[in-house]
Amino acid sequence: MNSREPTSSSVLHLFGRVAAAVVAVAALASCGPSTEPGEVEPAEPRWRIGMSQCNLGEPWRVQMDADVRSAAADHPEIEVLFKDAQNDVLKQRAHVEEFVSAGVDAILISPKEAAPLTEPVAKAMEAGIPVVVIDRKVLGDRYTTFVGADNHEIGLAAGRWLVEALGGKGRVVELKGLMTSTPAQDRHSGFREGIAGSDIEVVFEADMKWLEPEARREMESALARFEEIDAVYAHNDPGAHGAYLAARAAERESEMLFVGIDALPHEGVMYVKQGMLDATFEYPTGGREALELVLATLGGEAPPREVTLGSRLFTEQNVEQGGAPIASQGEIQ
Amino acid sequence: MSAQGVAKSSSGPRGEVEASTTLVPRLRMRAISKRFGSVRVLSEVDFEAFGGEVHVLAGENGAGKTTLIKILAGAHADYEGRIELDGVEVRPRTPREAAALGIAVIHQELSLVPSLGAADNLFLGRWPTRLGLVQEGAMRASAVAALERFGIDIDPERPVGELGTATRQLIEIAKALLREARVLVLDEPTSALQAPEVEDLLGRLGDIRARGCAIVYISHRMEEIERVADRLTVLRDGHRVASAPAADVTPAQLVGWMAGREAAEPFTRHAPPGGSERLRVENLSVRVRGAVAVEGVSLSVRSGEILGLAGLHGAGTSELLTGLFGGGGAVQGELWVDGERVRFRGPAEAISRGLALVTPDRQATGLVLPLSVAANLTLPDLRRLSPWGLRHPGRELSVASELMDTLGVRANSPSDPVAQLSGGNQQKVAIGKWLTVEPRVLLLDEPTRGIDVGAKRELYDLIERWTYEGIAIVLVTSDLRELLALSDRILVLHRGRPAAELSGLQATPEAVLEAAMGERRAVAR
Amino acid sequence: MTAGSWLRGSTARAVLALALVLALGAVFHADGAFLKISTHRDALRQASVYGILACGMTLVIITGGIDLAVGSVLALSAVCFSLWTIHWGWSAWLAVPACILVGAAVGAASGGLASVFRIQPFIATLSLMVFVRGIAKTISGGTKVSTAVPAADGGYRYVEVPEIFRAIDSRVLGGQVSTVTLLFAVCAVVSWVLLARHRWGRQLYAIGGNEEAARLSGVPVRAAKIGAYVACGALAAVAGICQAAQEQQGDPEAGAGYELTAIAIVVIGGIHLGGGRGGIGRTLLGTLTIGYLGKILSINAVPEAARLMLTGTIIVAAVLTQRREARS
Repeated sequence: MNSREPTSSSVLHLFGRVAAAVVAVAALASCGPSTEPGEVEPAEPRWRIGMSQCNLGEPWRVQMDADVRSAAADHPEIEVLFKDAQNDVLKQRAHVEEFVSAGVDAILISPKEAAPLTEPVAKAMEAGIPVVVIDRKVLGDRYTTFVGADNHEIGLAAGRWLVEALGGKGRVVELKGLMTSTPAQDRHSGFREGIAGSDIEVVFEADMKWLEPEARREMESALARFEEIDAVYAHNDPGAHGAYLAARAAERESEMLFVGIDALPHEGVMYVKQGMLDATFEYPTGGREALELVLATLGGEAPPREVTLGSRLFTEQNVEQGGAPIASQGEIQ
Repeated sequence: MSAQGVAKSSSGPRGEVEASTTLVPRLRMRAISKRFGSVRVLSEVDFEAFGGEVHVLAGENGAGKTTLIKILAGAHADYEGRIELDGVEVRPRTPREAAALGIAVIHQELSLVPSLGAADNLFLGRWPTRLGLVQEGAMRASAVAALERFGIDIDPERPVGELGTATRQLIEIAKALLREARVLVLDEPTSALQAPEVEDLLGRLGDIRARGCAIVYISHRMEEIERVADRLTVLRDGHRVASAPAADVTPAQLVGWMAGREAAEPFTRHAPPGGSERLRVENLSVRVRGAVAVEGVSLSVRSGEILGLAGLHGAGTSELLTGLFGGGGAVQGELWVDGERVRFRGPAEAISRGLALVTPDRQATGLVLPLSVAANLTLPDLRRLSPWGLRHPGRELSVASELMDTLGVRANSPSDPVAQLSGGNQQKVAIGKWLTVEPRVLLLDEPTRGIDVGAKRELYDLIERWTYEGIAIVLVTSDLRELLALSDRILVLHRGRPAAELSGLQATPEAVLEAAMGERRAVAR
Repeated sequence: MTAGSWLRGSTARAVLALALVLALGAVFHADGAFLKISTHRDALRQASVYGILACGMTLVIITGGIDLAVGSVLALSAVCFSLWTIHWGWSAWLAVPACILVGAAVGAASGGLASVFRIQPFIATLSLMVFVRGIAKTISGGTKVSTAVPAADGGYRYVEVPEIFRAIDSRVLGGQVSTVTLLFAVCAVVSWVLLARHRWGRQLYAIGGNEEAARLSGVPVRAAKIGAYVACGALAAVAGICQAAQEQQGDPEAGAGYELTAIAIVVIGGIHLGGGRGGIGRTLLGTLTIGYLGKILSINAVPEAARLMLTGTIIVAAVLTQRREARS
């Protein structure tokens, strides 16, 4: 998930760095240098690209790195150096500076926060290194391209899809992500816009803070309270999965649809394949697209300032074919 | 010095007043009485001290000195009698009020803040401020001046916790004088000091005296008393026994007053015929937190025998018992129980060898207050009472009930929390819990502290009975008459070292006190 | 003990707190949802993981200590359990004891730091809380350990949920009791036997009531204390297995903040944090109070902000009554 903040207590937060350091040491001891060796081709690579990830604690970000890696695998002429800032802005800043002094040919960055990383990115640009910013922006305009998805659009698509699937009428439970985070707010407002004008009624909504156990708990309450529920819309796939488990425990899973967001291959897509979720909407990582843009830039093309990624819908019918793309305004193609 | 001091109820200054400039005493305490529950600890005690004199307050442990000082310091607000400062009646209800009146008490536990420097401590709570901000510069300057005036050569910013005890004590005294104390009470100021530091402190008393402050000095050490005292007042059993100019008093007289000439024995013990040696200790030393508490002590107790251990505060008697029980301190020396060489790494091992320790403070170290009487009584023997780890509450209750009958513990039921019992009954539980393990050596540290006469009597009977059962007992008590009445032999410690071993006719209160105060180095054995 | 004095006791206060919460549910029954059997079954199941943690916490708190690491141990156990059964195909007979052993080992580390090295339990277990969370993330590779097993080609292969997961996340006794609730009951009974009927339990009370007196009475203070942390860790591992079974995955982020819920349960049950007092009965009352409070707030779809404030108020109220008791 893109801009989720950790929900843990401040104490945890304080000591998070210690933990991160411990993990880093353990990781170092087990796997050697943090830059992955897999991309080194026997042939001397023509381009060296640095990829700075703000943290690898979230499955979605792990997927982003995986997408970059698999895109790079198609191009033997490039080598990608991966760095994980472990949610530490200063560490990420240092990574960018290291890339610059190492003289990489291009930088990919998925920043933790805008303000502290604006300057390092600008410095890299001054050094003549193109920078593609993924998912979260930096301030100003001193970067090459921004690649990101639109949560509002995705929420809208989910709403439109549900209206169609339910025939314009029904009782829906909305399990929201941490409502203090932007993605949750956008997925909520987009969804409400999508179902506006139909006879779909949100009978129960609760904040499950992106957490599966919380989602299951809230869903159980909804099930106890409402004899008739037609669909569950959860702001992420684990939430939808938790809701499914609750309904299954109450032997009511067949009476309703389960819709989630993110569509990671080992989460949402798997749940759809297993028949647990009826639909999941991809929140694309942009990893592959960003790498393609970098290659185009290095090849001399002028890239667009901003690329808004389209989402894909996965349902039982299309999951084996890799889902269906969604155009803007939530229309499914 | 003459018999005039023996009177109990007279008031007003005695004839001779040394080094005083006025006939109105700085401090006058008149007919002070105090009870703790049913126990009367002070009976109409008169005490006065003049500006510019050192007035030594003497008496055995438990004579009432501490209570008298605590009343003066505002720690006990509910007393009878009156206190006058410079002829004006005062009634300090809290330590804070007492301090405001100019009464400063320097305890053995110092009240400085260890993490702050001397400057901060000197002005603690009365920092020079402007608009609520501490004027660091002004404070530092006056602190430096004050330290210089008192001849204390230290960095005023250095945390006092890093300084030695002697220096901290001086800072505390300086702090009291800075606040223009009218009465300065020094409660055993030398007990934690080394010899040169004692010299230094005693040397300074003259200066302090010259400031017109009345100094009340409590000490157990004869040589100090002889050096510093202008006048002496002796308390015994809560009564004032004597008050006299120091020059007129001989050490023998002082000891006589403290011990009491009549020394009526409250209890006559019948000792069983001597048995085999139960406990032998050779050359035992105990260090507590790095400081030597006991050094080079050897002792031996036979079955059925009671060995009394005497010593004034800080003599190391408690540390000796705790140390040989494996209960605390770094212990060196050799131990035999029933002729077998032993070494205890902890209390559990000592208990398994048949030792039992009754600690001096039942609430702090003797009992588990939230637990029931039965739980406390069965705690040392829990292992045997719970085969395979499973407890049998019914069996525990019956064991406890039986013990309560034997000991005469008065409680509604063995399941009552021990905290609800009276002091005497709590003490019986604290001692009685050891009977379940059938001890061979019983180490009793102040077994009768804070209990009433009736309960004491019952305990004496129990102790006598145990000796007939072949238990060897080592007894520490600050009640001298109790010690003399119960013990077959008495080993006296002075500052952690053996000072005398007394038995039979040798064992008089005077002899014990003299040895304990270090007046005469009697030869052990 | 007379009826009057019982009513003033803190067990009575804990019962009162639970009764008040249940009354609250009866009033705000959310269109009758609170009156359904399934609601209570779910409420009990949801409270069970917290309850299991609270049982272990009770053992530690009775010694006068505290264990902040239980939430992280839960996550570590959930991750290990999922990894071993789903990915490595271990039998449950092997994986369950192995997880409990892992939890016990963390407990031994906490107890060792607290009693051998004399680090304050709060600090010792705080450091382990952070450290163990790190281990859980390392072992899991930073992601949830689920039925999507990473394959060599960078993709995933999908496997079935092992039988043990379904068995734990099932219902027994005619479908009216969750297996997890039953497991909680077993943990509670075992903890009760240990505390109320075992020598070791009595030693824990003695240590919490007066450590020095206990030591001088021959209680093996160090071993008994370490034992409390070991048991607490083992129970947290059981809770982790239950959590994994209910989520059908091992989430290295699971259980964050659960240690605070477990402490809150113990406090609401009226157990003094100073040690030496309390029992599993009260922990049970605290678990039900917290569990039902959460359920009632949830079925009434009370917004998150209000839930936090209400829960905080209840804890403060419980502590205030506890303090009044201590003063009297």
